[in-house]
Amino acid sequence: MVRFELVVVKRVKPLPRWVIPIIAFVIGTLIATTLLYFLTGGRSNPKILLDGIVNALMTPQLLLKNFALLTIVGVGLLISFKAAVWNIGGEGQFYFAIIAAAWVALFSGLGKIVFVNKFLMLILGLTAAGLWALLASLPRAFLGVDEVPVTLLMNYIAYYIVDYLVFGPWREQQYKYTRTPTLPTESWFINIPGTTLTFELLILTVVALVFAWFLLNYTRVGLMIRVMGSNPHVLRVVGINTYKVIMIALTISGMVVGIAGVSYLASEAHLITIPAETRTPALGYTGILVAWLSMLEIIYVPIAAYIVSILLTAGINIQIAGAGGFSVTNVFIGSILLIYSILVIFSEYKIKIIIKKR
Amino acid sequence: MSKQNLFSTQSSPTPILVVKNVTKKFPGVVALDRISFEVFPGTVHALLGENGAGKSTLVKILYGIYTPDEGEIYVNGEKVSITSPRDAIKYGIVMVSQSPILIDRLTIAENLILSLKKYKLFNSTRKAYDEIVKALEKVQLEIDPNTEVYRLTYTQKQLVEIARALLLGAKILILDEATTYLPEVEKKKLFSFFHQFADEGNSVIVITHKLTEALAISDYITVLRRGKTVATVERGKATIDLIRRYIFGEAEYSGRKLRGDEGEVGEDIVLSLKDLWVKGDLGDYRVKGVSLDIRKGEIIGIAGITGNGQLELFEAIMGLRKVDKGKIIINGVNTTNKPTRFIRKLGVGYIPDNPLRYGLSTEHTLAENIALSPVYDEFIIPWDRIYKDSEKLVKKYGIVTPGIHTPMKLLSGGNIMKTLVSRELEYASTLLIAYNPTRGLDEFTAYKVRRNIYEKSRSSGLTVFFASEDLDEVLELSDRVVVMNSGRFVGVFKREEVVRDKIEELMVM
Amino acid sequence: MDFLHLIISATPLILAYYLTSLGHSIVEKSGVLNLAIDGVFVLGVSIAFSQAIYTGNNLLLSLSSSMLVAIVIGLFMTYIVTKFPVSHGAVGLSLMFLCYGLAGVIGVPARILQSTTGESIGYAFSPEGVEWLYSFIAIVVLGIISHFMIEKTKLGAMIRACGEDPLSAEALGVNVMMTRLIAALIGFGLMGLGAGVFELYYSRIWREGHGVGQGWIAFSISLSSGRHPILGILTSIIFGLLYEHRFSIVALGLPREFAEALPFITAILAMVIYMSTPLKRKLAPPKSLGKPFFKEERTI
Repeated sequence: MVRFELVVVKRVKPLPRWVIPIIAFVIGTLIATTLLYFLTGGRSNPKILLDGIVNALMTPQLLLKNFALLTIVGVGLLISFKAAVWNIGGEGQFYFAIIAAAWVALFSGLGKIVFVNKFLMLILGLTAAGLWALLASLPRAFLGVDEVPVTLLMNYIAYYIVDYLVFGPWREQQYKYTRTPTLPTESWFINIPGTTLTFELLILTVVALVFAWFLLNYTRVGLMIRVMGSNPHVLRVVGINTYKVIMIALTISGMVVGIAGVSYLASEAHLITIPAETRTPALGYTGILVAWLSMLEIIYVPIAAYIVSILLTAGINIQIAGAGGFSVTNVFIGSILLIYSILVIFSEYKIKIIIKKR
Repeated sequence: MSKQNLFSTQSSPTPILVVKNVTKKFPGVVALDRISFEVFPGTVHALLGENGAGKSTLVKILYGIYTPDEGEIYVNGEKVSITSPRDAIKYGIVMVSQSPILIDRLTIAENLILSLKKYKLFNSTRKAYDEIVKALEKVQLEIDPNTEVYRLTYTQKQLVEIARALLLGAKILILDEATTYLPEVEKKKLFSFFHQFADEGNSVIVITHKLTEALAISDYITVLRRGKTVATVERGKATIDLIRRYIFGEAEYSGRKLRGDEGEVGEDIVLSLKDLWVKGDLGDYRVKGVSLDIRKGEIIGIAGITGNGQLELFEAIMGLRKVDKGKIIINGVNTTNKPTRFIRKLGVGYIPDNPLRYGLSTEHTLAENIALSPVYDEFIIPWDRIYKDSEKLVKKYGIVTPGIHTPMKLLSGGNIMKTLVSRELEYASTLLIAYNPTRGLDEFTAYKVRRNIYEKSRSSGLTVFFASEDLDEVLELSDRVVVMNSGRFVGVFKREEVVRDKIEELMVM
Repeated sequence: MDFLHLIISATPLILAYYLTSLGHSIVEKSGVLNLAIDGVFVLGVSIAFSQAIYTGNNLLLSLSSSMLVAIVIGLFMTYIVTKFPVSHGAVGLSLMFLCYGLAGVIGVPARILQSTTGESIGYAFSPEGVEWLYSFIAIVVLGIISHFMIEKTKLGAMIRACGEDPLSAEALGVNVMMTRLIAALIGFGLMGLGAGVFELYYSRIWREGHGVGQGWIAFSISLSSGRHPILGILTSIIFGLLYEHRFSIVALGLPREFAEALPFITAILAMVIYMSTPLKRKLAPPKSLGKPFFKEERTI
């Protein structure tokens, strides 16, 4: 009797890693398209989907805002992921930055003073986001509580804090709509004509990338973060407190995500609508996809961000059998990420087929 | 060193287990080289040997964790192929190793019922109760089977595992260093159980590196060295000296003179250990009241078989393991249970055991690993300086690498070790603690590393406290030799007082 | 009498929460981190809704469909994360996105159909009836059976062993893959049932995105109660009541959002407490939850 057995084995030399996101993207897209085709009884035309993607490719100027925001969130999450601290709380950090920035613009009395207002929005925004992330890091650092459920649940707490503020004390008073008043125009980021991008956002994207690059490659903290992700034991032996590294990694990560939050508020939304849970652009989650697809290499983050923003833009314009863009986009994002999470192990492992004869 | 063949000396019943010409190779090393031996029913059979002799590999083959490259195994006269522990259990072979496989959060009964095929999924655990209690009684463990395993002492866990072997219907019980860490009282109880078990017609194979243990309980002793069977001796014919010589063989010196003129040993005490007690991972004491004073510039080597507390001792000194009782003083500063960072700052270098896990990050480059040294403390990493230093180290220690920007995992084991040694040796200004500093290195490289350590100590007064599985190394390098056995220092010898036989004896008593 | 009415109106929700959180607890006890829970829930809701529309409100068939879909997804996820050293979290979150998307695509056509026919679906507990009593009896019975299964049977010991230390479990003779698949079958079946109950007995409406976040509440219930089947009853009741009557909380002077956030706050506090007190032994997460299961290669 012959038996086949699949055995997973560690590779001696890892494969070139950049191949995997590309394969994942292709296979994921195929699977998503097939799923949609069958689920809608053949009514969804794959061509429409591909057209949407191609259209998005042809009009990069429309993508740029999402691209920039995703790059910032992606690189922010990357900082934490490098330490193997899984920051799933991007959404919460994003919104805390928005809360702080909105406060500056609307209620601090300084909202209309040029330069000062934007500066304060940024500083307070990233501080608020950083503090929210720091809070999430404490159970992990000191008690070993898994940061994944903690950061994730804190997203919801953040949503509800936003809901409370906007439903109550911050609500715009003119028509009593469930939103804040519009931010004063002095606080709006300046649009780059012909695109959806703003100057400040562009600058901040570059700043975020450079900051992450510098932090991880040229500072001791960055080295600790990177080593923490591959071998935390070594850090102990050399005399580094691992709980400090965890706290720092998450906090800095949150701060960078906060930059994206402020930029979103000042470049696109100009106000906060609720319920946050449904109104959110969900960049904290799609940012996770970007960070993963980039395989935690800063150079690849913009590329991954670009690919994901193509999907997002394409999805918005597509309606499959009446289902809105978000559902379609989610199918694509989910498929690609799923295939990627499975394929990524092949850079480190390979599968051996063992034939056992009895 | 002749192979003694048992068949010629007595008319014996058929062996319950025959291992014939078993060979097992791993990349770069021959672990077992045509091993043959027999175990008879109703006997307790000891497997003795130094670390690396092949004992563990052999029993892992018997238990199906490895498969032999060549050779045959016969159980009760029938040739068998064992490819998994499940197979081994079918043939009545059950192994208990020194690390328990029991699951802490489950109770004894729950752990045991997992192994018993006869109980189906929805059977209540209570059904197995009686059977389990009986097995526990046989190993003289009086404890409620509904006790969670985390509450048990190490000894009790071992006994539960032996009870499990009984429940599985073991005919050949293998204990891989399972008795080595038990307290004397427990050992005696266990040994009487072994005899009972053997009297019922079963066999016990005990792996140990403790000669006295082997002599106390076994009917036969088989000695392995460097993957070969050296001899099998009947208990009546075995003496301490004979077995010791079988284990260690003739002393071979490399002939290269390591040490030159003796330097001056300072007056100041750099490291002082006072009645130190340290627990191991499994909850029992591994360091049992050691005391020692080391003076500036001294090189002290611990001779001892791996697993006698050297590791836990060094981890305690480095602040990586809790000291339960006693004190550690470095240069007059009480460093007992202080954070590693504090200890490092005193100028202490550390070459840990298991360098791939605790010493270096294999995903990162050589330069990045050098950068981890506590000497580079600045917020902004001084890469220029580090690159220069790394290049210097590569030259000085002869590290073979395509460059300092190559990920460590692409280097050979020996060069990884050299990188670690170079980093720590360069950093250490007060004290160097080293565990197996020349692990995985070829003769010449090992010599060079020892020479580096020796020269640094003589020239800059660095105090060195190291442990090595290689007795030759300890004897070559040390000003004083400490023999460690079962968590205690059982002998301290000045260089000129060293008598190799005596030390070997102390190591295996 | 007033309090009783409060409970009766929340009962279908409590039942849904309990079923979903119990299923989640069982799956995670076997060591599989289940971040797909919200996605599976939303998809289950959508399937239950659409099947009810297409079958003319055949409740049995609709509930079975949502259970079936949940089970298929669960078995797939469990197989992948146990066979290959993949990240449980990554697979879970990807499935979450995928399920959100599929839920929309499947539900919208049914919704459109419903808007033309105007039929309603589901079954409403009548305020004077005793369905609520039967529900609670069912909850208690289910809780007792589950607790017994987990704590007193061999299967329960196998599941817990896989969650604590799958490598040791294998050494002790447990087939980790088989055990986890069984846990997934039971657990995801319960989750699918919970989603179906939520849709057909509680909300009875649907729009794109319906149910998002409810899975996370069930997740929080599971974590808050230390994945304990009996404690989970208590937590389900509390959070079910809170959610159903969240607007009335204002009467107590607390913002409604506080009531909504409470399950999540409680879950985090509970995790912190469980990890830092002796309760750890009984209520802490399984030690190997979410850890990739990788057996060192055997040299053959």
